[in-house]
Amino acid sequence: MPTPSRWMIKASFIYLLVGFFIGALILVSKAYPAFTGIWSLLAVHIEVSIFGWIIQLTMGTAYWILPRYLVKPSRGNPILAIAMVALLNLGILINVASYLDLIAPSATIVGRLFEIGSVILFIGLHWNRAITYNK
Amino acid sequence: MPRLARLFIKTGLIYFLVSLLLGLAAEFKWLTFPGITPLFWHLLMVGWITQIIFGVSMWMFPGRTREEGFWPQKWGWLTYIMLNVGLICRVIAEPASYASSAGLWNILIVISAVGQVAAAVTYTIELWPRIQSKEQRRRQRKKKRQKSNN
Repeated sequence: MPTPSRWMIKASFIYLLVGFFIGALILVSKAYPAFTGIWSLLAVHIEVSIFGWIIQLTMGTAYWILPRYLVKPSRGNPILAIAMVALLNLGILINVASYLDLIAPSATIVGRLFEIGSVILFIGLHWNRAITYNK
Repeated sequence: MPRLARLFIKTGLIYFLVSLLLGLAAEFKWLTFPGITPLFWHLLMVGWITQIIFGVSMWMFPGRTREEGFWPQKWGWLTYIMLNVGLICRVIAEPASYASSAGLWNILIVISAVGQVAAAVTYTIELWPRIQSKEQRRRQRKKKRQKSNN
């Protein structure tokens, strides 16, 4: 499994744990309203579970498993792949920091732009790998 | 395909259908009930998408044991059991807790929360060591061979 895939998949496991843990706290707060303050983490729960866990795992697995080029580098430019990983995770972390009021609320614009940048790189790296070598 | 992966996928397909039926019901005022929207989203994202990711990754990612049964695949089976106990408890208890203040529903909600987090933990325990480069896998296989030879 290539390095960018390993990074993305392992990061997605960490986000899975964080996302499910926050989700569990929110669920428990429905039974015990004394903990309703935890609802302030709803946006973090959604960001981490969808972008950090599901989307990141899918992207990391696709980078590993889609057909490779017949010439080296067999998965395209590895620097672009590292940039894809970095942009996605920076985007998620900026959004989370913003939802936690650690940085300005408008920082989510930067976070989303980073995520979009990562997706553009993902499309660029994979477009020509959706291919068959059978005639 | 291993039995556990088949079970994950088939269970996920059932949640997929149920979640969409809940989504449809939520559109009709006479069919809707309290808590239907979070149930719809969680059955879709956890019951369907997460469940199918769990099942397919346990099957497709390198390093799985070929031996069938609970003990050889204990982390996978624990993941399946806890995730689904958690989801079923939620399906029952969340709407019920709006209708009645019985303590049982609160207990089921806590079981649901703990079950789903525990499933995420056992899944990570199963999959984390299997995320390896070719070189790492080669070294691990060599070590295993040496161990079995000694």
